[in-house]
Amino acid sequence: MSIFTWFDERLELKKFKAKFLVKTFPTHPTFLLGELALFSFITLVATGVFLGFLYEPSTKMVSLFGAMVPAAYASVVKIDILPLGMIIRRIHHWSAMLMIAAVLTHLMRIYFTSAYRKPREINWLIGLCLLGTAMVAAFTGYLLPYSQFSVTATSIAYYVSKSVPWVGDWMSRLLFAGEFPSDGTVPRFFFMHVMLIPATLIGLISLHLLVIVKQKHTEPRSNRNRKEAEGGRRLIGIPIWPEQAVISLSFYLFLLFVVVLMATYVPLNPIETYGPPSPGTPVMRPDWYFLPVYGFLKLIPGDLSFTFLGGKITPETIGGVIFPGLLFLAAALMPFLDRWKEPQHYIANPLQRPFTTSLGVGAGVFLCMTAVAGYIDVLHITPNRMTAYAILATLAAWGVTYTLLRRYSRKRGPDV
Amino acid sequence: MVVGIDGDKREKAGITRRRFTLGVLIASVAGAFGSLFALLKVLSPEKKGGGYVTTIQPGDKLVYAKGGNMGAPLRASSLNVGDAALAFPAGKSSNPANLVQVIKLQETEFKPPIHIDLTDRGFVAYSAICTHLGCTVSWVKNQQAPAASYTECFCHNSIFDPSRGAKVMGGPAPIPLAQIGVKVADDGTLVFTSDFTGPIGPQVG
Repeated sequence: MSIFTWFDERLELKKFKAKFLVKTFPTHPTFLLGELALFSFITLVATGVFLGFLYEPSTKMVSLFGAMVPAAYASVVKIDILPLGMIIRRIHHWSAMLMIAAVLTHLMRIYFTSAYRKPREINWLIGLCLLGTAMVAAFTGYLLPYSQFSVTATSIAYYVSKSVPWVGDWMSRLLFAGEFPSDGTVPRFFFMHVMLIPATLIGLISLHLLVIVKQKHTEPRSNRNRKEAEGGRRLIGIPIWPEQAVISLSFYLFLLFVVVLMATYVPLNPIETYGPPSPGTPVMRPDWYFLPVYGFLKLIPGDLSFTFLGGKITPETIGGVIFPGLLFLAAALMPFLDRWKEPQHYIANPLQRPFTTSLGVGAGVFLCMTAVAGYIDVLHITPNRMTAYAILATLAAWGVTYTLLRRYSRKRGPDV
Repeated sequence: MVVGIDGDKREKAGITRRRFTLGVLIASVAGAFGSLFALLKVLSPEKKGGGYVTTIQPGDKLVYAKGGNMGAPLRASSLNVGDAALAFPAGKSSNPANLVQVIKLQETEFKPPIHIDLTDRGFVAYSAICTHLGCTVSWVKNQQAPAASYTECFCHNSIFDPSRGAKVMGGPAPIPLAQIGVKVADDGTLVFTSDFTGPIGPQVG
């Protein structure tokens, strides 16, 4: 009696196989972007478990090679000098960057092919929550090595969260366990980073997958004729087992190869160079996904503060809270503004949706320009001039895309 | 529609047994979870004397805050025109609110709104905590023209003019860095002579 039969007699594995392992996957490679994010998350959990065994979430001063440094910093330096320790830490960091990049490109793919339309609004919203949660996960990870970089970055976030009108003071004390820096911040961030946020991510990912199993993927419009000819409601593609599983596994192994290669040769967050917290702030920039907010904070003039309904709106509120908040809100509202009576199961051609496509291109250019604004000090551009460039580039990108696509889609006729 | 025991009495249809039970259930669950919100207060502790509160007293000696001679007294002779250093009051370096930037300039360069009476022989000191988001400011020295040197926060590039009372020359900082009085003591070291002239640290919330 094989092991499979033993389990099958108890768990009815054959039934499961017939029901779920035949789920169809579309074959276009852009449908792998979500998997890329999932696989990066798996790498993050695996390397995170290793780091969690060795990390000490405490700011107590301890002796390290004769110098007094915070225990958290000392424990990360000790990880770095372990055999393979630094590589594991870099794989963790690279995977975090890759996960957010994958989530973003996945979001772009969904947006530009209008796959967020009815009935997939729920998964669009869950996806946005995943993006936000992944960014919070990355951010809480910044503080843990407790280097000069960690403390500066977290201090900025502390004052941004404190600048939220009405609830900012209370909220910042809740998130940072009192005023930053305090002894409570590192243990609280550690708990959020290794427990609360991963649990939230796992919950959201499971929901995301459940909904996709229930609703099925979207598919190219070109599949329609073939499907009608075959008379089936089934998606055209390959089943999870064994075809998609083999593709996914090879894809994951290739991804691991790339990440390990980068971790081996490209230094990242060198805490030994930053040193433990000390007075003085060197030039430091956040990881790429925070650059738009970082750049936006540089653009807002300092005298732009006012009081609204008893809440104080400061430049930090505008750059760090209102700006990202509005971006997420606009994205969340998208499927409710782009409303359809009938469920849409085929993806749209972005070239034939001038309004949504040009809006997306404009938003993308705007984010890129605010990221560039993070470098105004090395580019020697004044904030006001940079603001003008950002607005002009955004309007130009939006206008040109809209005009061109409008003309193109009129010539081509409606989407078929 | 749900009908209660006395289904024949129309006016009683508003509160049926099922609705009553449901109401009690919602109220008790809401009450139970609502009381948990009290925990949020426990989880967001108030720090005594929160924010940036300086403990500098007039008469405190200035010591280097970083570098090789960290903790050593800052001597007037060690700074040339166009130089600056980060300093703490002696023995009070654990409080980040005490961090100041001491700058040596030509006395003739000083222009309002600087407090001339708080400077001595070209020495002027400001809080080193950026008023934007709390990073430590840095000194950008101009080798050719020392008078054109300035203070910059490298976090979001706020620029302060040290000869004009750390007036904001560019970037997102909302208010100038607060000035603090310094003078050269008889033994050639620098000492504080006053408190900060204005608020220090990030101006948020």
